[in-house]
Amino acid sequence: MHDLRKGRFTARIKRNERLSASSYLVVLERPAGFSDAEPGHFISIRVIDSAVPLLMRPFSLLDLTDDSILLLVKVVGTGSRILAAKVPGDSVDIAGPLGGNTFPGPGGGNALFVAGGTGLASMIFAARTWNARGTVGDSFLFYGAGCEDELLYSLIEEDFKAVECSTLDGSAGFHGDVVSLCEEKLKNGISADILYSCGPSGMVRALEEKVACHFREHYTSLEAVMACGVGACRGCTVPIRSVDETAFRTVCSDGTVFRAREIAWEEWDE
Amino acid sequence: MKENALRLTIGGAVFENPVFLASGPAGYGTEYTGLVDLERVGAIVTKTITLDPRAGNPGRRLRETTAGLLNSIGLENVGARRFFSEKLPALIDAGVRPVVSLAAGDRDEFTELLAVVAGSKVVDAVELNLSCPNVEKGGMAVGTDRELIKAYVSLAKEALGAVAVIAKLTPNVTDITDLARAAEEAGADGITAINTIVGMDIVTESAEPFFTRVVAGLSGPAILPVALEAVWRVSRAVSIPVLGSGGISSIDDARKFFMAGASAVQIGTALFYDSDLPVSIVEALERDGVPPAIMR
Repeated sequence: MHDLRKGRFTARIKRNERLSASSYLVVLERPAGFSDAEPGHFISIRVIDSAVPLLMRPFSLLDLTDDSILLLVKVVGTGSRILAAKVPGDSVDIAGPLGGNTFPGPGGGNALFVAGGTGLASMIFAARTWNARGTVGDSFLFYGAGCEDELLYSLIEEDFKAVECSTLDGSAGFHGDVVSLCEEKLKNGISADILYSCGPSGMVRALEEKVACHFREHYTSLEAVMACGVGACRGCTVPIRSVDETAFRTVCSDGTVFRAREIAWEEWDE
Repeated sequence: MKENALRLTIGGAVFENPVFLASGPAGYGTEYTGLVDLERVGAIVTKTITLDPRAGNPGRRLRETTAGLLNSIGLENVGARRFFSEKLPALIDAGVRPVVSLAAGDRDEFTELLAVVAGSKVVDAVELNLSCPNVEKGGMAVGTDRELIKAYVSLAKEALGAVAVIAKLTPNVTDITDLARAAEEAGADGITAINTIVGMDIVTESAEPFFTRVVAGLSGPAILPVALEAVWRVSRAVSIPVLGSGGISSIDDARKFFMAGASAVQIGTALFYDSDLPVSIVEALERDGVPPAIMR
């Protein structure tokens, strides 16, 4: 359970590219000794050597290459704002790779990936990893964002056979949320066995309730406010359906990946 | 062979150095494998265990504040039996020196828990969590009453024989020194000061408390001056060792606690953002020694 995979490192920022009004592609130099990671793993970053903000911030991996760690950073608060303002040559302390359960691969089957906002990062990492291994058949991405500016097409390479997008304001693609897009497209049938998702909890819950029945399984990587990132503090818990009473699992060390049907969504106050 | 100048004795328990990881943030210790050199710290005070497993509090559990962290974990733990069969052996295998943190909802539960601890035969130091603000029964409800503190410490001393008993106190009282004296009178071998400070937050958009239980415990650099003052006062009120805890985020912070009168320090919330800190403090103490307490 507790392996030697994770470590603490200082990582230099190689590149920081603004992608939209609030989103950035941050590329870190991969420190020597930083282990390989699986889809669903994450890293934590101490954005500044100061007590404000206090905690490290968790980020999904967008990609992990021999020499780089790629992250998608959306400015949502103080921590992400400080990180987004970093320039090449700056350094940050990181811990990683962190996480417990990762995305099980599709075993050669077809996969539908559904991403909301920055959930795009882990969907790309999963598809890219399995494409490189040849363990995924056809892969489709349904991807939703608030508006056209927030659709980060430039991050998507040859990762998916087909990509469908939605925007809440209708400025590009399907007008509505990505779950409605899924429902619309599934009317015509889509030949995928497994559903993978990452995004806001409302999106994932709606996917589970309205869309997941079309698939053999629905795996999701959850987001949460974390403190330790390693399962010690029990702060990032999510309620799990269990026969007798509420059971909690930590997003950081039991997840980040869960079967979406296991989660007691009605009890989860993210 | 050179004598270890950092060696510390609490009751009959010997520790190689006075830098401990604090109960709660430290979990069951082994979670930090790869991040903290666990063999280098004086001890890990393990996450508080209760007799039976506890699921912990529903709803949100963490809220970052200015230089601090509110938590409402609610003593989630695996229960004493699984702790002693699974978690503690893993910790000892990893070369870690454990201090086992205990809590109970009432005296009967506490007595049963102590019997399990005594039966394990591998524990030589416990910390009584008489100060958790995040549970309805036990915890702070015990730790704000001097007679209950005496009763719990006495029960532990009677049940555990030679095991060192450390009482962890809450600052959420009129006079923490009165409670420290009560623990000492009942035979406690050490005092840990302080546990978290009670706080809360409100979500203005919904006009609702942030936490389901409304109140939560504040830790982190924001509480350091409060903890330091408590350690300074408690160490002047009792003659048993005081373990200082509360917002230590740097080597210099740790020095302040020794100067205030602490015999040891505990690192808690800082583990979350600077997991190198505990070993850095150990190295600084090895290099420069433990600073003497100030006279005032």
